[in-house]
Amino acid sequence: MTAVIQAEHISFRYGPDQPVLQDISFPVQTGTFLAIAGPNGVGKSTLLNILAGLLQPQSGEVLLEGMSLRSCKVQDRARRIAVVQQESVPVFAFSVAETVLMARTPYFGRLGFESETDRELVRQALELTGTAGFASRPLGSLSAGERQRVFIARALAQDTPILLLDEPTSFLDLKHQVRIYDLLKSIQLERHTTIVAVTHDINLAAQYCDEALLLYPRGGRPAEYPHFRIGKTADILTPEEIERAFDVRIISGVVGNERFLIPLGARAKDSDSAGRAG
Amino acid sequence: MPRTLSPGILLTRTVVAAVLLVLVMFGCSLIGPQSISLKAVAAGPTSLTGPNPDYEIFLHVRIPRILLAALVGAALGSSGVIFQALLRNPLADPYILGISSGAGLGTMLAVIGGFGWTLWGRSPIAVFAFIGALGTVWLVWGIGRLTGKYHVAGLLLAGVVVNAFFSALIMFLASIAKSQQIHATMFWLMGNMMEEDFLVLWVGAGCIVAGIVALFLLSSQLNIISVGHHDAKSIGVPVGRIEFAAFAISAFITAVAVSLSGLIGFVGLIIPHAIRLLFGPDHRQLLPLSGLAGAIFLVVADTIARTIVAPAQLPVGVITAMVGGPFFLILLVRYSRKVYWLA
Repeated sequence: MTAVIQAEHISFRYGPDQPVLQDISFPVQTGTFLAIAGPNGVGKSTLLNILAGLLQPQSGEVLLEGMSLRSCKVQDRARRIAVVQQESVPVFAFSVAETVLMARTPYFGRLGFESETDRELVRQALELTGTAGFASRPLGSLSAGERQRVFIARALAQDTPILLLDEPTSFLDLKHQVRIYDLLKSIQLERHTTIVAVTHDINLAAQYCDEALLLYPRGGRPAEYPHFRIGKTADILTPEEIERAFDVRIISGVVGNERFLIPLGARAKDSDSAGRAG
Repeated sequence: MPRTLSPGILLTRTVVAAVLLVLVMFGCSLIGPQSISLKAVAAGPTSLTGPNPDYEIFLHVRIPRILLAALVGAALGSSGVIFQALLRNPLADPYILGISSGAGLGTMLAVIGGFGWTLWGRSPIAVFAFIGALGTVWLVWGIGRLTGKYHVAGLLLAGVVVNAFFSALIMFLASIAKSQQIHATMFWLMGNMMEEDFLVLWVGAGCIVAGIVALFLLSSQLNIISVGHHDAKSIGVPVGRIEFAAFAISAFITAVAVSLSGLIGFVGLIIPHAIRLLFGPDHRQLLPLSGLAGAIFLVVADTIARTIVAPAQLPVGVITAMVGGPFFLILLVRYSRKVYWLA
């Protein structure tokens, strides 16, 4: 396995007194499914946007297949990396098919129309995400789960070896969360796509992802303790690490092979009785 | 995959709209306070009894004015589409970033200055309006950029504040000017169509048509840019370059239109919406159809403006608002289910 993305000493701050990421280096192996987790405000989305080339770090750089992302042209980067941003509804009422077709915009002819190849890629993306059935409906008329699948379809139509997602299952109910992760897993396995997803759902990450990157908050962290850890999900998403990162009590157990983790607050029903299960 | 816009559909609809425009222009050229007959016009510049009045009116009064209305309507309709896309805001119009108040201030200065010179056959009012419009819109763009490269709200706020500030300056100048001067300016501020020289019309037509063609070549990229700049960037569209080009071109053709005709409101706001409600939001279609529909609309509105109180004339801006408003509300109610932000 080779690293398709290599983050090298990335530091990022939004202002002089607002440092977010400090000296982060890690590889993303080709064909792997990596989860980025951590508490709010720790810089998960920032890190994802840096990997996507949408934000420039103040120092350090991202290597894409060994080349610096900074010097990569917008079009060249878009051939390799597709991004699904956090859910939003466009102002104008584009249909599902129109939205997915937008992924092909850089490849349109001189007059701004798509080729047969473009249409075929869109067709495949609609089929794979199960959005073909409502492809002529406007985006605003869909449920959040349907809309998220449309944005994933748009990213698939971009036909890239790398797919980055920012909280793809926020706002979704249990069924739709699972369907999105099933979809991502099948994309990873069938297309050998490298997937990086920012997520708040530790348990889904444990079930579906190969690796996890956990970012720890700056406050209260001993100086010698790392800013982040990366590794196999089973090694990273442990009760101890999650408690440290999120500053919350965790009980955990095992179903089948994977561990599940449940946060417990002081007023939770089981907060007195619960020791560590599993 | 369901049907999206195809070149064939686009071409058909554009040709139909263009034919419609020509028919409307022809029809309106026969309407006016002085009735003229086509047969007499066809007889040529001179008749047996001397100069042919029907021919003179048709060629030197009606035709230039109708061409001007079509040009200005096309410029406002299509640049309205662009401003709404760039600002990702359905309430935007070509004047929102300061073109109107800048042009108004330029006019006021020209009127108060009492200049007597002309430039390429244009009165100082038109020249000052053009400079004021372009200067102000670039000032707003510059201020907007200072608030952040992709900060649409900053750009909009800068436009609103600069508009308000310049409007106050216009009020100030109006309060110290002579009443005769104010009347001329007020007429201009409400949209003032005049019979222009053919030379001016050809230059204006060249600028506006070239601008619309150039904007059409950007319109597939404007689709994804209207969704969001991060979306566009991650898909591989050079957002900064496209936005700058679209902004520069549409600001330019709006300034040309404003310097030709004064401030005609409503066209740049309602025409893009009407076309979007009827045909959908795809900018490759929205742009040419809005340009043609804007032209048709303004030709009709100007024909009403010059005939309804003949021999006097109304400012065409009054008609665009009075005719356009109710017409747009009907469309809005009928088709609003197609548009999510009203649902």
